[in-house]
Amino acid sequence: MEKILEINNLDITFKTTAGEVHAIRGIDIDLEKGETVAIVGESGSGKSVTMRAVMGILAKNARVNSGTVKFHYKHEDGSAAEVDILTKDKKWIRKHINGKRIAMVFQDPMTSLDPTMPIGKQIMEGMIKHFNMSKDEAWERALRLLNEVGISNAENRMKNYPHQLSGGQRQRVVIAIALSCDPDLLICDEPTTALDVNIQAKILELIKKVQKERGISVIYITHDLGVVAKVADYVDVMYAGKIVEKGNVNEIFYEPTHPYTWGLLSAMPDLETDDDRLYTIPGSPPNLLYEPEGDAFAPRNSYAMKIDKLKEPPMFEISKTHSAATWLLDPRAPKFEMPVEIKNRIERMKLASGGAEK
Amino acid sequence: MRTIDYTKEPLLKVENLKQHFKVNRNFTVKAVDGVSFSIWPGETYGLVGESGSGKSTVGRSVIRLYDPTDGKIFFDGNDISGKMSKNTINDLRVRMQMIFQDPMASLNPRKTVGDIIGEGLDIHKSYKSRDERTAKIKAILKKVGLAEEHISRYPHQFSGGQRQRVGIARALIMNPKLVIADECISALDVSIQAQVVNLMKDIQEETGTAYLFIAHDLSMVKYISDRIGVLHLGHLVEMGTKDEIFENPIHPYTKSLLSAIPTPNPIAEKTRAAIPYDYATSGLNYSKGSYHLIDGTHYVKCTDEELESFRKKY
Repeated sequence: MEKILEINNLDITFKTTAGEVHAIRGIDIDLEKGETVAIVGESGSGKSVTMRAVMGILAKNARVNSGTVKFHYKHEDGSAAEVDILTKDKKWIRKHINGKRIAMVFQDPMTSLDPTMPIGKQIMEGMIKHFNMSKDEAWERALRLLNEVGISNAENRMKNYPHQLSGGQRQRVVIAIALSCDPDLLICDEPTTALDVNIQAKILELIKKVQKERGISVIYITHDLGVVAKVADYVDVMYAGKIVEKGNVNEIFYEPTHPYTWGLLSAMPDLETDDDRLYTIPGSPPNLLYEPEGDAFAPRNSYAMKIDKLKEPPMFEISKTHSAATWLLDPRAPKFEMPVEIKNRIERMKLASGGAEK
Repeated sequence: MRTIDYTKEPLLKVENLKQHFKVNRNFTVKAVDGVSFSIWPGETYGLVGESGSGKSTVGRSVIRLYDPTDGKIFFDGNDISGKMSKNTINDLRVRMQMIFQDPMASLNPRKTVGDIIGEGLDIHKSYKSRDERTAKIKAILKKVGLAEEHISRYPHQFSGGQRQRVGIARALIMNPKLVIADECISALDVSIQAQVVNLMKDIQEETGTAYLFIAHDLSMVKYISDRIGVLHLGHLVEMGTKDEIFENPIHPYTKSLLSAIPTPNPIAEKTRAAIPYDYATSGLNYSKGSYHLIDGTHYVKCTDEELESFRKKY
C-alpha cells in the first residue's frame, strides 16, 4: 500500500492571555491511499487543530514544538514527491497543497460559502487559480461536478447564491468545491453535524461514492460514533490532545479497551437501549492550560489506579492494528471487566449484524 | 419506576393548533398546520422531525411565546390559547417552564448564576426572606449536580454541560408541572449529553414533572420518551408510544427517518442504506389526511387510500 500522510509525534501549544495551552501532546497518524480514517473525540480534544496543522492553516498564536507532517503526492509530470508541511511557509502551501491536493469540507456550509458570490463562480475559482483553466472549461467542469454531487437542474443552479439553497444542497456544493481540483486527500470536519439525519445519510453516501470512484483518502473528524461506524476503516480516539485508542473500526466497536472509548460508546444510546440509566463519564474534559499530571483521563476514570495519577500510560499494543493508552493493559495490572452496559451493548450489536464476526 | 395514569385528565391538551406567519401580502408560512396531542402528568412526550418541520414552533406556541393562529391549548384545565386572565398568565408562567438549546445564548452573561436561577422567584415573590431565597437556590443547585458555591459565579465560568445544568435549575426552581426542552442536549458533547439526560430522568422520578422533549436525535428521543409524535411540514404525521413508532412505523416519512439513524455498529452499518422519501414526489397530501387508528394509541395521519398504499408496500 502507498502511504499518503504520516503524522509523527505532533506537539502544538497555543499562546493565550491566560497562559500556554498544550492542545496537542504527541500524535501519530498514518493514512494510506484510498483509506478512510475517523478521528473521534469531544470538543477541545484537539481533533480539529491536528487537521488544521495538516492543512497549514493553524492560528497565528499556535506554536509547533515538535513533530512532522509528511505528505506524499505526485507532481504534474507524474514524479513522486514528499514534503513536510510544517516546514513550508503559508504561501507555498497555498499554491501547492490547499485545495489542490488536500481539500477540506467544513462543518457549517453557511459560513464556509461566500454569501455574495454565485455558487458556480465559487466552484470555478479553485480550478482557475490552480490550473490556469479558461473560464469556459471551468464552467463545464463545475457543471459536471454539480451533477456528480447530485444537484438537479445544475445549469440554473450555477447562478444561485448560497442562501437560495437548502442546507443539504449547500453542503453538496461545498463538497463539489472540495473535489474541483481532484485532491488526493479530503478532510471532512464534522461534515454532517449541522444537518438533519436523513440528509446526513445522503451526504455520507455521497462522500463514500466519490471516494470509491476517485480512489482518494478521507479523514473524518467527528464526535458521532454512528457516522464513524458507517464510513471509517480505521478509528483514532482522541482525548485531551492525545490518541488514547486506535484500531480498525471493528476492533474499536466490538473490542474497545480504553475506558474513555467505553464511555463514548455507551453515552450514545442505540435503538435497543432500555437500561434505566446511560453509563456516563463523570465530570468534564480537563483544561489544558494546566498540564495534566499522569493520565489526563484519570480524574474521570472509575478504573483509575494509583499509577494513573503519577505516570502517563504508553500505547500498549493489543493486535497489529489495535492499541490503547491505558495502564489496564500493563501485565502487572489487576484483571478488569468492562461495564455491563457496554458488554450487553456489544453482544446486541454482534447479534444485529448477524454474527458476521468470526 | 414511574407509572403514568392515562385515565386521568391530560396535563396539556393541544387541539388542532395552527401557527401561521405572514411574510407578505401574498405569502404565509404555515409552520404548524393542525397539530393535536396530549401530555399526561409525569410523562415524557418526544417531538421529532427535521429542521423546518415546526417542532420548535409547537413548543413556543404551547408556552405562549407566540399567539396561535387557530386551535385550542388547555393546560391543567385552563384554556391558554386565546387572551388569558391575569391569574391564568401567572399560573402558566410558573407551572410551565422552558429549557433552551444553547446554554451560552440563553443565560444572561452579566448576571450571577444565583440571580439567573432566582429571577423567577423574584418576579413571582415566592419567598419571605433573603435567606429563604438563597436556601431555595442552593437546594436546586445541589439537585442538578452543581455545588453551593457556584451561586455567585457567572455563566462564562462554567463548562457547556454545567451551563445546561444552570438552565435546568432555572426551569425547575418554580416546581413546574411541564418542562419544554427544546433541543436541550444537541449543543452538548456526547458524554455530557448522557449526563444531562440522566439528570432529567432523575428529576422526573423525584418531582413527577412532565417533559415535552423536542429533538432531532431519534435514538435519544427513544431513550427518554414514553410517547412520540413525528412532525413533518407542520403536520403530525404519526404518533404513538415509542414502541409502536419504532417497532411498527407506518408512514413513509417515519420509515425514512428511522432508517436514516446511524447506529454505532460497523458491520450492520456498512451494508445498510436509508429509505428515501420526498414529499413532493410521494403523491401524498398531508392537509387532506385524517387520523387513522392503527392499534392501541398509534395513529397515522393520511387518507384511506394512502393508508391502503402504505400497507401494501410493507
